[in-house]
Amino acid sequence: MSYKSDTKILFKNIDRDDSHKLAVYQGNGGYQAVLKAYGMQPVEVIDEVKRGGVRGRGGAGFPAGLKWSFIPKDDPRPKYLVCNADEGEPGTCKDRDIIRYDPHLLIEGMAIAAYSVNATRGYIYIRGEFYREAEVLQGAIDEAYAAGILGDNCHGKGIRFDLAVHRGAGAYVCGEETGLIESLEGKKGQPRLKPPFPANIGLYGCPTVINNVETLASVPDIIANGGDWYAGLGVENSSGTKLFSVSGHVNKPGNYEVELGIPMKMLLEEYAGGVRGGWDNLKGVIPGGCSMPVLTADICETVTMDYDALAKSGSYLGSGAVIVMDKSVCIVKAIRRLSQFYRHESCGQCSPCREGTGWISKIMDRLESGKGTPDDIDLLLNVCDNIQGKTICALGDAAAMPVRGAIQAFREEFEYHVEHGRCMVG
Amino acid sequence: MSNQSLEATVEPADVQSWIDAIGREPSAAVPLLQAIQGAYGYLPRKAMDLVIANTDVNASQLYGVATFYAQFRLKPVGRHLIKVCHGTACHVLGADRLNTSLNHILGITDEEEDTAANGSYTVEDVACIGCCSLAPVMLIGEEAFPNLSGADAQRSLKKHARKVKEVLPGHEEMQNEAKAKKAAKVQEVRA
Ligand SMILES: Cc1cc2nc3c(=O)[nH]c(=O)nc-3n(C[C@H](O)[C@H](O)[C@H](O)COP(=O)(O)O)c2cc1C
Ligand code: FES
Repeated sequence: MSYKSDTKILFKNIDRDDSHKLAVYQGNGGYQAVLKAYGMQPVEVIDEVKRGGVRGRGGAGFPAGLKWSFIPKDDPRPKYLVCNADEGEPGTCKDRDIIRYDPHLLIEGMAIAAYSVNATRGYIYIRGEFYREAEVLQGAIDEAYAAGILGDNCHGKGIRFDLAVHRGAGAYVCGEETGLIESLEGKKGQPRLKPPFPANIGLYGCPTVINNVETLASVPDIIANGGDWYAGLGVENSSGTKLFSVSGHVNKPGNYEVELGIPMKMLLEEYAGGVRGGWDNLKGVIPGGCSMPVLTADICETVTMDYDALAKSGSYLGSGAVIVMDKSVCIVKAIRRLSQFYRHESCGQCSPCREGTGWISKIMDRLESGKGTPDDIDLLLNVCDNIQGKTICALGDAAAMPVRGAIQAFREEFEYHVEHGRCMVG
Repeated sequence: MSNQSLEATVEPADVQSWIDAIGREPSAAVPLLQAIQGAYGYLPRKAMDLVIANTDVNASQLYGVATFYAQFRLKPVGRHLIKVCHGTACHVLGADRLNTSLNHILGITDEEEDTAANGSYTVEDVACIGCCSLAPVMLIGEEAFPNLSGADAQRSLKKHARKVKEVLPGHEEMQNEAKAKKAAKVQEVRA
C-alpha cells in the first residue's frame, strides 16, 4: 500500500539504467522545466515556487521561494547560488542518492533558481567523503557544458550560468550555511553572526542563495507542473514529497520518497520493512537526524511525518533522517557517543558551545561508566539551558536538543545508570 | 611507535604543478591541501612550506585550515586509512565491534595507537559517512563496506590486504594462536 499517491519527484528517474547521463535525463523530459522558466519573468519563477510552498530540506525548513525573494534586485554586485551537499547530519544519506543517480535534476534545479535571482555563478559544496558522487557530478556538469546547458549562453538564450563543484574537507559545522560560505572562501569554516544574512552579504560579500540538494532538486517539477500542483501533495504547511533516510533497527533500511504527512508507523512498517523484532520491540525513533530529540514508541504509534506534527510532538522533521532504535539500545550510551561528536565538531568560537559540549561529553562519560551522581542529570539540563539559543550558529542547539530530549523521554534510564552503576538494557 | 619510515619524499615540481592547476589565491587553500594529502596521505612540512612560499596563502591561514578540518593530518599515517563510522545509525547497530575486530587483526593493542606496527593500516573513528542505510559501515581508502559484523570487517580487511599486498600483523598472530591451539588439541588427543 502507498500513502496517498505514488508521486515521485526526486526519485522519478532513479531506477532507469544510466540515470545519471544527460541523454537519459533529457529522454525523460529533462531540461524542459528550465526552458519554461527562461520564458517566464524571474519574479514569476519565484512566485511559482512560493505557491508550491517547498520548505528547505537541509534542516531548518525555511520556505525556498521566500528565501529567493530576499535577494536584492537592483544591486550591481554579482549574485551567487550555493548548493549545500555537505550532508553531515548523522543518519542522513538522501542527497547522496540524488547526486549519484540524478545529478542533472539538481543541475536543472540550480539553473532555474539561479535564473530567478539573477545569479551567474553557482557552487556545489559536496562533502569530502563523497568521492564517487563528486565524480558523477563533475561528469554531469561537463556534459551540461558540452550541450550548451551551462555556460555563458545557456540554451542559446543569452543567459549565463557557470557551475563548479567544491569538495569539503570534513567539518560538520561547514554544513551550516555561513560556515560553508567561509569554507568556500578558503577559510576555517567558522559560522558568521546573522544578520547580515547571506541573501545580502554572502559569498565574497555578495548576495547569495544557499539551498540544500533536495530543495533544489524539487524545483524542476514545481516549475513544470505548477506551484499549485506541488502544494496539492503532502499536507498543510508541509507540501510536496520528501526523502526519508530510514536507518537503524528496521528490516529494510533505505531512502524512501513519500508525501509529507505520512504516518510514521506506515513509513516504518510498510516502506522500511518493519521494526526489527516487530513493532512492540520499538524503543524510540529520532525523526529528523541526530540533532533532534528522540520520540518514544507510544508517540511513534500516532505521529505523522510533517513539520507541524513533529514539532507538536516535541521533535522536528530536520533533515528527514529517521533513526530507529529497538529495545537493545542503551540511550545513555548512544547519547554519550553523540556528545563526543558535538564536542569534536564545535568550532570553538562561542564559549557556551565550546565549553558546554565538552561538559556534556564529560558528564555523559561519567554517567555511562556508572560513576555519575544523582545531580548529574539536572546538571546536564542546566548545561543545555546555557547553550541553547546562546551561540552564533545552531550547532549549539543541535548538541543540546538530543540530550534534553533523551532525558525527557528516558529519564529512568539515566537514573538507573546512577543508581546501579550500569545499564538497564544489558 | 615512531612512524619515521613513513615520512614522504616531497618533489617541489609536483607541488608547483598543483599550484599551477589550482591557483594561488586564498580560496585555493583547501583544494591545495587536498591535492597534497591526496598524494602523500598527509601534509608533509616541506610541501606546506612550498605552498606558503609560492602562493597568496600565508602560514597562519594554511595551518589554521589544516588543523580545522578533520580530513587533514600533519603526521604520516599508515599506507591505507580505514574509517569506521560511529554516527548514530552505525552506533546503534554495533559500530564498536568493528573497532575491536580491526584492532585485533591489525595487532593494535595500545589504546592510544591507531596504526599497525608495520605501517600498513591506520584505523580512524569518524562520524557519519552518509551511508546510514547501510550501517554499520567502514571505508578502506575510498571504498565503502556496508552492513558489517566484526567478522565481516576482518574478512573485508583480509581481502583488501591480499589485493594491495599488505601483511596484517594481528592476523599472523591469530593464525599462530590457532595453530598452537590445534597442535595442543592433537597432543591432548594423543595423550
Ligand atoms: C551545525 C549545522 C549543520 C548543518 N548541516 C547541513 C548539511 O549538512 N546540509 C544541509 O543542507 N544543511 C545543513 N544545515 C542547514 C544549513 O545551515 C541551511 O539551513 C541550509 O543549507 C539551507 O538550505 P535549505 O533552506 O534548502 O534547507 C546545517 C545547519 C547547522 C546549524
Ligand atoms: S551513521 Fe554511519 S554512515 Fe551515517
